[in-house]
Amino acid sequence: MNFYTYFLRRLLFVVPLLFGITIMAFLIANAVPADPVTANLPQNALNDEDLVQAFREKWGLDKPLHEQYFAYIGNLLQGDMGRSIKTGRPVIEDIQQFLPATMELATLSIFIGLVLGVGVGIISAIYRNSLIDYVSRMFSLIGVSFPVFVLALIGLAVLYGQLGIVAGPGRLGFRTADPPHATGFFLVDSLLAGDLDTFQEAFSHIILPAFILGAYVAGTIARVTRSSLLEVLGMDYMRTARAKGLGERRVLWHGVRNALIPVVTIIGLSYGNLLAGTVLTESIFAWPGIGRYMFRASTSQDFPAIMGVSMLIALIYIIVNFVVDMLYFFLDPRIRGEGR
Amino acid sequence: MTQTSNSNVATMPAELPPSRFQSLLRAIFFQLRKNPLITIGLLIVVGWFLVSIFAPLLATTEPLAQNVTNRLLTPGTTVELSDGSTFTYHMGTDELGRDIFTRVVYGGRITIPAGLAVIIIGSILGTVVGAIAGYAGGLWDELLMRISELFLAFPTIILALAVTAALGPDLNNAILALVVVWWPTYARLVRSLVLEIKSQEFVEAARSIGAPGRYIVFRTILPNAIAPAIVLATLDIGNAILTFAGLSFLGLGAEPSSPEWGRMVAIGIDFFDQWWMWLYPGLAIASLVMAFNFIGDGLRDVSDPRTRNG
Repeated sequence: MNFYTYFLRRLLFVVPLLFGITIMAFLIANAVPADPVTANLPQNALNDEDLVQAFREKWGLDKPLHEQYFAYIGNLLQGDMGRSIKTGRPVIEDIQQFLPATMELATLSIFIGLVLGVGVGIISAIYRNSLIDYVSRMFSLIGVSFPVFVLALIGLAVLYGQLGIVAGPGRLGFRTADPPHATGFFLVDSLLAGDLDTFQEAFSHIILPAFILGAYVAGTIARVTRSSLLEVLGMDYMRTARAKGLGERRVLWHGVRNALIPVVTIIGLSYGNLLAGTVLTESIFAWPGIGRYMFRASTSQDFPAIMGVSMLIALIYIIVNFVVDMLYFFLDPRIRGEGR
Repeated sequence: MTQTSNSNVATMPAELPPSRFQSLLRAIFFQLRKNPLITIGLLIVVGWFLVSIFAPLLATTEPLAQNVTNRLLTPGTTVELSDGSTFTYHMGTDELGRDIFTRVVYGGRITIPAGLAVIIIGSILGTVVGAIAGYAGGLWDELLMRISELFLAFPTIILALAVTAALGPDLNNAILALVVVWWPTYARLVRSLVLEIKSQEFVEAARSIGAPGRYIVFRTILPNAIAPAIVLATLDIGNAILTFAGLSFLGLGAEPSSPEWGRMVAIGIDFFDQWWMWLYPGLAIASLVMAFNFIGDGLRDVSDPRTRNG
């Protein structure tokens, strides 16, 4: 099967999924016993019939459900996700503002998780059942058992409160201005502007949350790497490689390369989860990202924002997994061989 | 659950192969002797169950009792009461002078049932959907699986946030939101198992002697598919408790004043220097989840023959 066919087949699979997601987000947003009118208008405005009526008309709350949906889809295709009831701004603008902070955090976290996880996983598999293997498995089991918000608080209390080696909540200190906007990633933007002080400050702010999220990802990656490498080490082709006289180091590289294929899937899933699952971390570290925006929207029944963000995140999730599928084509020769 | 499934096995015709359930039980006992983590996990879980059941006996006061003169006391502070007796706050007090120790002891009464409810309802719902999809096949299979994919396309906490936003913040709604998030995994697992078992000879045999569809699904297929679902459920309890605590932390679970661990941590954030306010309930969540993860990790080794000898 050539890449083009594979690509089209996967794409065919993705389009109905995207369509379904819009329906689902819409249905959830509308399965509301809670009335968005009472949730978003101040008490004195509720007594004013005209104001309430104007509010309903503005958000299309007085039309039948399917008409609301088609209107929404029509606008969505033109890049219009409606206006957030809470902030009063177009949802798409809110997302553009908050997404880079989350992506910066998620990207650094996945990088930390990848380096830690693959390293520990490989060592655990090679020295299987040794002390190192045992200790690292215990650590990852205990690590994933701590709620991320508790780990974050302990980290803040010790590293920020007691030792003062990292900065506290937020992306930058109060007195520091944001670096000039280029990518929205403060680490990158400050370097582009040649502002090393701001870079250092941004780094000391991001490193603790990124490390905590990264440690979670590392636990999962280490486990998958370990079991996958153990499986590969027992394969016939490893024996063949040894039998034909390859050095142990070459043999191992042979195995690791194949063992990392399932790790790619985990990375894809984790990245998607990080973009969404940072809700808790962002609220503790006062990180102005998409998770905190989603949380605020969901506590105030701001449905345009809720739908916008959940669709966006599902979309990112699907795209990331689509990219992973594409990578598989190059990584796993079995896909090219099979007529799947 | 163990017993009912076994009685199903016992009523099956004699020529069937030994059930997966029996061999699984045997493997579990073998693993118990070999893997001390399972035993440690079981002990902690049983411990928390007992603490929650006998909370009124263990607690030193009432979980909601406030005493504003004794607010924010450090752990171990002993105060003299008006009648001359003394009272010790083992884990200190919170911003309203409530005893943290008592609240931690009572906290399991909310978190444990909530976590179990999510897993039990979610796995039963998922199993039924999966069994229907796998057995009926065709259009039903296609439809149910596409729907489950939709639910899986949303990351857990985002879907749970959206659902709780729609239903309103409340303990039952938080559980419901998590059930909505949880069932698809079970549906997909059970479906694939049913597909595999459906084509085996003993099912063919049952069909050939004219057994009705209901009998085939519930008496021959499901008993053989249930063991892996139970293993997955055990692996998952810790996760469910963590996610529930997360929702509570965000204020979308139990009501604000109730002694729920995630909620207590959230209140503690505003009193960052009074570390006892958030550390003790946080450790309570962690120890319980860790215990379930120890058990689950051991069970995973049992259910996966590749790692069984590892």
